[in-house]
Amino acid sequence: MMIRVSGALLRFTDYRRVISVPAPTVGAALTSLADDYQSLKPVLFDREGRVRATHQIFLNGEQLTREQLTRPAGDADSVDLLLAVSGG
Amino acid sequence: MPRWDAYQMSVDASCFTPLGLQPTAVCRLGFNAAGRWLSEHALSHRRLVAEYQTGFVLWSAQVIFDQPVTFFDSDCLEMRVMGRIRGGGTQFECEVEVDSARGITTRMQACCVPLRLDGDSALTGAPARLGSGVMEAFRPDEIEVRPHRSPAPGLLVAILRDGTELARGRTPFVIHRHQCEVADQWYWPEAVSLASGGREELVRVESARVPALRLSLSTPLRRLDLLFNRPFFLFDEGAVLSSAHEWQGRLVFVHELVGFEGGEPRALAIEQFTTLLSDRAWN
Repeated sequence: MMIRVSGALLRFTDYRRVISVPAPTVGAALTSLADDYQSLKPVLFDREGRVRATHQIFLNGEQLTREQLTRPAGDADSVDLLLAVSGG
Repeated sequence: MPRWDAYQMSVDASCFTPLGLQPTAVCRLGFNAAGRWLSEHALSHRRLVAEYQTGFVLWSAQVIFDQPVTFFDSDCLEMRVMGRIRGGGTQFECEVEVDSARGITTRMQACCVPLRLDGDSALTGAPARLGSGVMEAFRPDEIEVRPHRSPAPGLLVAILRDGTELARGRTPFVIHRHQCEVADQWYWPEAVSLASGGREELVRVESARVPALRLSLSTPLRRLDLLFNRPFFLFDEGAVLSSAHEWQGRLVFVHELVGFEGGEPRALAIEQFTTLLSDRAWN
Protein backbone atom coordinates (compact mmCIF):
# COMPACT_ATOMS: atom_id res chain seq x y z
CA MET A 1 0.00 0.00 0.00
CA MET A 2 1.02 3.62 -0.33
CA ILE A 3 1.69 5.54 2.85
CA ARG A 4 1.49 9.31 2.56
CA VAL A 5 3.60 11.07 5.16
CA SER A 6 3.13 14.75 5.86
CA GLY A 7 4.20 17.73 7.87
CA ALA A 8 6.40 17.32 10.90
CA LEU A 9 7.03 13.64 10.10
CA LEU A 10 8.70 14.29 6.76
CA ARG A 11 12.14 14.81 8.23
CA PHE A 12 12.01 11.26 9.57
CA THR A 13 11.41 9.79 6.09
CA ASP A 14 14.13 11.80 4.37
CA TYR A 15 11.37 14.08 3.08
CA ARG A 16 9.75 11.33 1.02
CA ARG A 17 6.03 12.05 1.01
CA VAL A 18 4.70 8.89 -0.64
CA ILE A 19 6.23 5.56 0.26
CA SER A 20 5.20 2.16 -1.05
CA VAL A 21 5.14 -0.48 1.70
CA PRO A 22 4.14 -4.09 0.98
CA ALA A 23 2.25 -5.36 4.04
CA PRO A 24 -0.99 -7.24 4.75
CA THR A 25 -2.47 -4.75 7.25
CA VAL A 26 -2.24 -1.06 8.05
CA GLY A 27 -0.49 -1.77 11.34
CA ALA A 28 2.05 -4.06 9.67
CA ALA A 29 2.71 -1.36 7.07
CA LEU A 30 3.43 1.22 9.77
CA THR A 31 5.81 -1.21 11.49
CA SER A 32 7.57 -1.88 8.20
CA LEU A 33 7.82 1.85 7.51
CA ALA A 34 9.40 2.43 10.91
CA ASP A 35 11.85 -0.43 10.26
CA ASP A 36 12.94 1.27 7.05
CA TYR A 37 13.19 4.69 8.70
CA GLN A 38 14.60 4.01 12.15
CA SER A 39 14.36 7.59 13.42
CA LEU A 40 10.61 7.48 12.78
CA LYS A 41 10.10 4.56 15.16
CA PRO A 42 10.24 6.46 18.51
CA VAL A 43 8.14 9.22 17.01
CA LEU A 44 5.44 6.91 15.70
CA PHE A 45 5.36 4.29 18.45
CA ASP A 46 5.46 4.52 22.23
CA ARG A 47 7.65 2.27 24.41
CA GLU A 48 5.02 -0.43 24.40
CA GLY A 49 5.02 -0.47 20.61
CA ARG A 50 1.62 1.18 20.25
CA VAL A 51 1.03 3.96 17.76
CA ARG A 52 1.08 7.20 19.74
CA ALA A 53 -2.31 8.81 20.26
CA THR A 54 -1.02 12.06 18.77
CA HIS A 55 -1.01 10.54 15.27
CA GLN A 56 -4.06 10.27 13.07
CA ILE A 57 -4.20 7.43 10.58
CA PHE A 58 -6.54 7.34 7.62
CA LEU A 59 -7.18 4.40 5.27
CA ASN A 60 -8.52 5.65 1.94
CA GLY A 61 -9.78 8.74 3.75
CA GLU A 62 -11.41 6.93 6.66
CA GLN A 63 -9.87 7.64 10.05
CA LEU A 64 -8.90 4.48 11.92
CA THR A 65 -8.81 3.88 15.64
CA ARG A 66 -5.84 2.07 17.18
CA GLU A 67 -7.95 -1.09 17.27
CA GLN A 68 -8.64 -0.85 13.54
CA LEU A 69 -5.00 -0.95 12.51
CA THR A 70 -5.32 -4.70 11.98
CA ARG A 71 -7.55 -3.97 9.01
CA PRO A 72 -6.28 -5.65 5.82
CA ALA A 73 -5.08 -3.41 3.01
CA GLY A 74 -3.69 -4.06 -0.44
CA ASP A 75 -1.51 -2.45 -3.09
CA ALA A 76 -4.29 -0.15 -4.26
CA ASP A 77 -4.98 1.25 -0.81
CA SER A 78 -3.49 4.44 0.59
CA VAL A 79 -2.78 5.36 4.17
CA ASP A 80 -2.39 8.94 5.37
CA LEU A 81 -0.27 9.49 8.43
CA LEU A 82 -0.92 12.85 10.08
CA LEU A 83 0.40 14.47 13.22
CA ALA A 84 -2.38 16.33 15.02
CA VAL A 85 -0.26 18.94 16.77
CA SER A 86 3.30 19.58 17.80
CA GLY A 87 4.55 21.48 20.78
CA GLY A 88 7.36 23.53 19.35
CA MET B 1 -0.78 42.47 40.68
CA PRO B 2 0.60 40.18 37.96
CA ARG B 3 4.15 41.00 37.01
CA TRP B 4 4.69 43.16 33.93
CA ASP B 5 7.90 43.48 31.92
CA ALA B 6 8.83 46.63 30.05
CA TYR B 7 11.61 47.00 27.52
CA GLN B 8 12.53 48.69 24.27
CA MET B 9 12.56 46.91 20.94
CA SER B 10 14.40 48.24 17.93
CA VAL B 11 12.30 48.13 14.80
CA ASP B 12 13.16 48.27 11.14
CA ALA B 13 11.32 49.15 7.97
CA SER B 14 10.13 45.56 7.46
CA CYS B 15 7.83 45.91 10.49
CA PHE B 16 5.70 48.55 8.78
CA THR B 17 3.34 49.20 5.91
CA PRO B 18 2.88 52.76 4.66
CA LEU B 19 -0.01 52.98 7.16
CA GLY B 20 1.50 51.53 10.32
CA LEU B 21 2.74 48.39 12.03
CA GLN B 22 2.35 45.20 10.03
CA PRO B 23 -0.15 42.95 11.85
CA THR B 24 2.18 39.98 11.35
CA ALA B 25 5.02 41.98 12.92
CA VAL B 26 2.84 42.78 15.93
CA CYS B 27 2.09 39.09 16.40
CA ARG B 28 5.77 38.17 16.10
CA LEU B 29 6.78 40.92 18.54
CA GLY B 30 3.98 39.88 20.88
CA PHE B 31 4.91 36.21 20.90
CA ASN B 32 8.53 37.14 21.45
CA ALA B 33 7.43 39.33 24.36
CA ALA B 34 5.47 36.45 25.89
CA GLY B 35 8.53 34.23 25.60
CA ARG B 36 10.62 36.90 27.25
CA TRP B 37 8.12 37.21 30.12
CA LEU B 38 8.09 33.44 30.63
CA SER B 39 11.87 33.37 30.67
CA GLU B 40 12.16 36.26 33.13
CA HIS B 41 9.41 35.25 35.55
CA ALA B 42 8.61 31.58 35.13
CA LEU B 43 10.42 29.14 32.82
CA SER B 44 11.85 29.78 29.38
CA HIS B 45 10.05 28.20 26.44
CA ARG B 46 13.15 26.09 25.79
CA ARG B 47 13.20 24.77 29.37
CA LEU B 48 9.45 24.16 29.28
CA VAL B 49 9.91 21.94 26.25
CA ALA B 50 13.22 20.28 27.11
CA GLU B 51 12.89 19.84 30.88
CA TYR B 52 9.17 19.95 31.64
CA GLN B 53 7.86 18.24 28.48
CA THR B 54 5.45 21.12 28.08
CA GLY B 55 4.67 22.94 24.86
CA PHE B 56 2.26 25.71 24.02
CA VAL B 57 0.10 26.11 20.94
CA LEU B 58 -1.76 29.31 20.25
CA TRP B 59 -5.53 28.97 20.37
CA SER B 60 -6.92 32.50 20.33
CA ALA B 61 -5.59 36.04 19.86
CA GLN B 62 -6.97 39.54 19.54
CA VAL B 63 -5.01 42.56 18.37
CA ILE B 64 -6.45 46.07 18.76
CA PHE B 65 -4.75 48.89 16.90
CA ASP B 66 -5.58 51.98 18.97
CA GLN B 67 -3.70 54.40 16.76
CA PRO B 68 -1.25 53.92 13.93
CA VAL B 69 2.48 54.18 14.51
CA THR B 70 4.63 54.58 11.43
CA PHE B 71 8.25 53.82 10.65
CA PHE B 72 9.06 57.53 10.99
CA ASP B 73 7.62 57.94 14.49
CA SER B 74 10.46 56.40 16.51
CA ASP B 75 13.51 54.16 16.38
CA CYS B 76 12.21 51.87 19.11
CA LEU B 77 8.92 50.59 20.39
CA GLU B 78 8.20 50.35 24.10
CA MET B 79 6.96 46.85 24.84
CA ARG B 80 4.99 45.91 27.97
CA VAL B 81 4.00 42.32 28.60
CA MET B 82 2.45 40.19 31.32
CA GLY B 83 1.57 36.52 31.50
CA ARG B 84 -0.79 34.43 33.58
CA ILE B 85 -2.36 31.01 33.83
CA ARG B 86 -6.07 30.72 33.22
CA GLY B 87 -8.65 27.98 33.39
CA GLY B 88 -6.92 26.36 36.35
CA GLY B 89 -3.85 25.43 34.33
CA THR B 90 -5.47 24.70 30.97
CA GLN B 91 -4.42 27.99 29.35
CA PHE B 92 -1.52 30.44 29.31
CA GLU B 93 -2.56 33.98 28.46
CA CYS B 94 -0.40 36.99 27.73
CA GLU B 95 -1.21 40.65 27.30
CA VAL B 96 1.11 42.83 25.30
CA GLU B 97 1.07 46.60 24.87
CA VAL B 98 3.08 48.37 22.20
CA ASP B 99 3.86 52.00 22.98
CA SER B 100 5.58 54.62 20.89
CA ALA B 101 6.31 58.29 21.36
CA ARG B 102 2.60 58.79 20.54
CA GLY B 103 1.42 56.61 23.43
CA ILE B 104 -0.11 53.16 23.40
CA THR B 105 -0.63 52.14 19.81
CA THR B 106 -1.42 48.46 19.86
CA ARG B 107 -2.68 45.87 22.35
CA MET B 108 -2.53 42.12 21.92
CA GLN B 109 -4.12 39.42 24.03
CA ALA B 110 -3.16 35.85 23.19
CA CYS B 111 -4.16 32.57 24.76
CA CYS B 112 -2.21 29.32 24.39
CA VAL B 113 -3.18 25.76 25.26
CA PRO B 114 -0.51 23.69 27.03
CA LEU B 115 0.55 20.38 25.54
CA ARG B 116 2.01 17.43 27.39
CA LEU B 117 4.80 16.32 25.07
CA ASP B 118 5.45 12.64 24.41
CA GLY B 119 9.21 13.18 24.58
CA ASP B 120 10.02 12.27 20.97
CA SER B 121 12.00 14.44 18.62
CA ALA B 122 8.93 15.52 16.62
CA LEU B 123 7.67 17.20 19.82
CA THR B 124 4.35 15.39 19.50
CA GLY B 125 1.94 16.12 22.29
CA ALA B 126 -1.65 16.39 23.41
CA PRO B 127 -3.51 19.11 25.29
CA ALA B 128 -3.13 18.71 29.05
CA ARG B 129 -3.33 20.76 32.23
CA LEU B 130 -0.02 22.33 33.27
CA GLY B 131 1.94 20.23 35.75
CA SER B 132 2.61 21.39 39.30
CA GLY B 133 6.28 22.09 38.52
CA VAL B 134 5.25 24.68 35.95
CA MET B 135 2.35 26.08 37.99
CA GLU B 136 4.70 26.77 40.91
CA ALA B 137 6.63 29.24 38.77
CA PHE B 138 3.61 31.55 38.75
CA ARG B 139 2.48 33.74 41.63
CA PRO B 140 -1.02 33.19 43.04
CA ASP B 141 -2.26 36.41 41.45
CA GLU B 142 -1.03 35.11 38.08
CA ILE B 143 -3.29 32.05 38.25
CA GLU B 144 -6.91 32.66 37.36
CA VAL B 145 -9.58 30.00 37.59
CA ARG B 146 -11.80 31.47 34.89
CA PRO B 147 -10.83 30.39 31.37
CA HIS B 148 -10.20 32.77 28.52
CA ARG B 149 -13.16 32.85 26.14
CA SER B 150 -12.42 33.68 22.52
CA PRO B 151 -14.67 36.38 21.08
CA ALA B 152 -14.03 35.14 17.52
CA PRO B 153 -16.91 32.60 17.20
CA GLY B 154 -19.52 35.13 18.36
CA LEU B 155 -18.03 37.82 16.14
CA LEU B 156 -18.20 35.52 13.13
CA VAL B 157 -21.85 34.71 13.79
CA ALA B 158 -22.73 38.41 14.11
CA ILE B 159 -20.94 39.38 10.89
CA LEU B 160 -22.53 36.58 8.87
CA ARG B 161 -25.96 37.26 10.37
CA ASP B 162 -26.07 41.05 10.28
CA GLY B 163 -23.51 42.04 7.65
CA THR B 164 -23.74 42.32 3.88
CA GLU B 165 -21.34 40.23 1.85
CA LEU B 166 -19.48 42.29 -0.75
CA ALA B 167 -17.13 39.78 -2.36
CA ARG B 168 -15.64 36.33 -1.92
CA GLY B 169 -12.42 34.66 -3.10
CA ARG B 170 -10.05 31.72 -2.66
CA THR B 171 -6.26 31.94 -2.46
CA PRO B 172 -4.34 28.64 -2.37
CA PHE B 173 -1.05 28.26 -0.49
CA VAL B 174 1.62 25.74 0.45
CA ILE B 175 3.46 25.94 3.77
CA HIS B 176 7.24 26.16 3.44
CA ARG B 177 9.92 25.93 6.06
CA HIS B 178 10.54 29.65 6.42
CA GLN B 179 6.94 29.84 7.69
CA CYS B 180 7.48 27.16 10.35
CA GLU B 181 8.90 26.87 13.85
CA VAL B 182 11.34 24.31 15.22
CA ALA B 183 9.03 21.31 14.72
CA ASP B 184 8.18 22.03 11.06
CA GLN B 185 4.78 23.24 12.24
CA TRP B 186 3.64 26.64 11.00
CA TYR B 187 4.50 29.61 13.18
CA TRP B 188 1.05 31.01 14.01
CA PRO B 189 1.71 34.64 12.88
CA GLU B 190 1.88 33.15 9.37
CA ALA B 191 -1.90 32.83 9.61
CA VAL B 192 -2.00 36.62 9.68
CA SER B 193 0.27 36.86 6.63
CA LEU B 194 -1.81 34.32 4.72
CA ALA B 195 -5.04 36.09 5.65
CA SER B 196 -3.60 39.44 4.56
CA GLY B 197 -2.54 37.85 1.29
CA GLY B 198 -6.03 36.44 0.82
CA ARG B 199 -7.53 39.88 1.39
CA GLU B 200 -5.16 41.60 -1.02
CA GLU B 201 -5.90 38.99 -3.69
CA LEU B 202 -9.60 39.65 -3.19
CA VAL B 203 -8.98 43.38 -3.57
CA ARG B 204 -6.82 42.83 -6.66
CA VAL B 205 -9.40 40.65 -8.38
CA GLU B 206 -12.68 42.23 -7.24
CA SER B 207 -12.04 45.92 -6.61
CA ALA B 208 -13.09 46.94 -10.13
CA ARG B 209 -16.53 45.53 -9.27
CA VAL B 210 -16.48 46.57 -5.58
CA PRO B 211 -14.31 49.73 -5.24
CA ALA B 212 -14.90 49.86 -1.46
CA LEU B 213 -12.51 46.93 -1.07
CA ARG B 214 -9.62 49.27 -1.84
CA LEU B 215 -10.24 51.04 1.47
CA SER B 216 -8.51 48.10 3.13
CA LEU B 217 -5.29 49.22 1.45
CA SER B 218 -5.61 52.89 2.34
CA THR B 219 -6.96 52.78 5.90
CA PRO B 220 -5.40 51.07 8.92
CA LEU B 221 -6.56 47.82 10.43
CA ARG B 222 -8.51 48.48 13.63
CA ARG B 223 -8.92 45.01 15.08
CA LEU B 224 -7.78 41.47 14.31
CA ASP B 225 -9.30 38.33 15.83
CA LEU B 226 -7.68 34.93 15.41
CA LEU B 227 -8.83 31.44 16.32
CA PHE B 228 -6.87 28.24 15.72
CA ASN B 229 -8.26 24.71 15.50
CA ARG B 230 -5.42 22.74 13.92
CA PRO B 231 -1.97 23.70 12.70
CA PHE B 232 -0.53 23.42 9.22
CA PHE B 233 2.79 21.67 8.73
CA LEU B 234 5.63 21.74 6.22
CA PHE B 235 4.37 21.23 2.63
CA ASP B 236 0.73 21.16 3.75
CA GLU B 237 -1.52 22.56 1.04
CA GLY B 238 -4.39 24.81 1.92
CA ALA B 239 -6.42 27.79 0.87
CA VAL B 240 -7.58 31.06 2.35
CA LEU B 241 -11.31 31.47 1.82
CA SER B 242 -11.79 35.22 2.12
CA SER B 243 -15.02 37.16 2.19
CA ALA B 244 -15.54 40.91 2.52
CA HIS B 245 -18.51 42.30 4.42
CA GLU B 246 -20.07 45.57 5.38
CA TRP B 247 -20.90 45.18 9.06
CA GLN B 248 -21.96 47.95 11.43
CA GLY B 249 -20.80 50.47 8.82
CA ARG B 250 -17.31 48.98 8.74
CA LEU B 251 -15.36 47.06 6.16
CA VAL B 252 -14.68 43.59 7.55
CA PHE B 253 -12.90 40.57 6.09
CA VAL B 254 -13.40 36.99 7.23
CA HIS B 255 -10.66 34.51 6.33
CA GLU B 256 -11.03 30.77 6.82
CA LEU B 257 -7.79 28.83 6.39
CA VAL B 258 -8.72 25.36 5.22
CA GLY B 259 -6.60 22.30 4.55
CA PHE B 260 -6.73 19.99 1.55
CA GLU B 261 -9.05 17.71 3.50
CA GLY B 262 -11.79 20.37 3.60
CA GLY B 263 -14.14 20.37 6.54
CA GLU B 264 -13.72 22.67 9.49
CA PRO B 265 -11.25 25.54 8.96
CA ARG B 266 -7.91 25.04 10.64
CA ALA B 267 -7.79 28.74 11.49
CA LEU B 268 -10.01 31.79 11.36
CA ALA B 269 -8.94 35.42 11.00
CA ILE B 270 -11.33 38.38 11.14
CA GLU B 271 -10.03 41.81 10.12
CA GLN B 272 -11.97 45.00 10.92
CA PHE B 273 -10.91 48.27 9.32
CA THR B 274 -11.29 51.73 10.78
CA THR B 275 -13.02 53.05 7.73
CA LEU B 276 -16.73 53.76 7.84
CA LEU B 277 -18.21 52.86 4.51
CA SER B 278 -19.91 55.88 2.98
CA ASP B 279 -21.77 56.44 -0.25
CA ARG B 280 -18.55 57.84 -1.67
CA ALA B 281 -16.84 54.51 -1.18
CA TRP B 282 -19.27 52.81 -3.53
CA ASN B 283 -18.57 55.04 -6.51
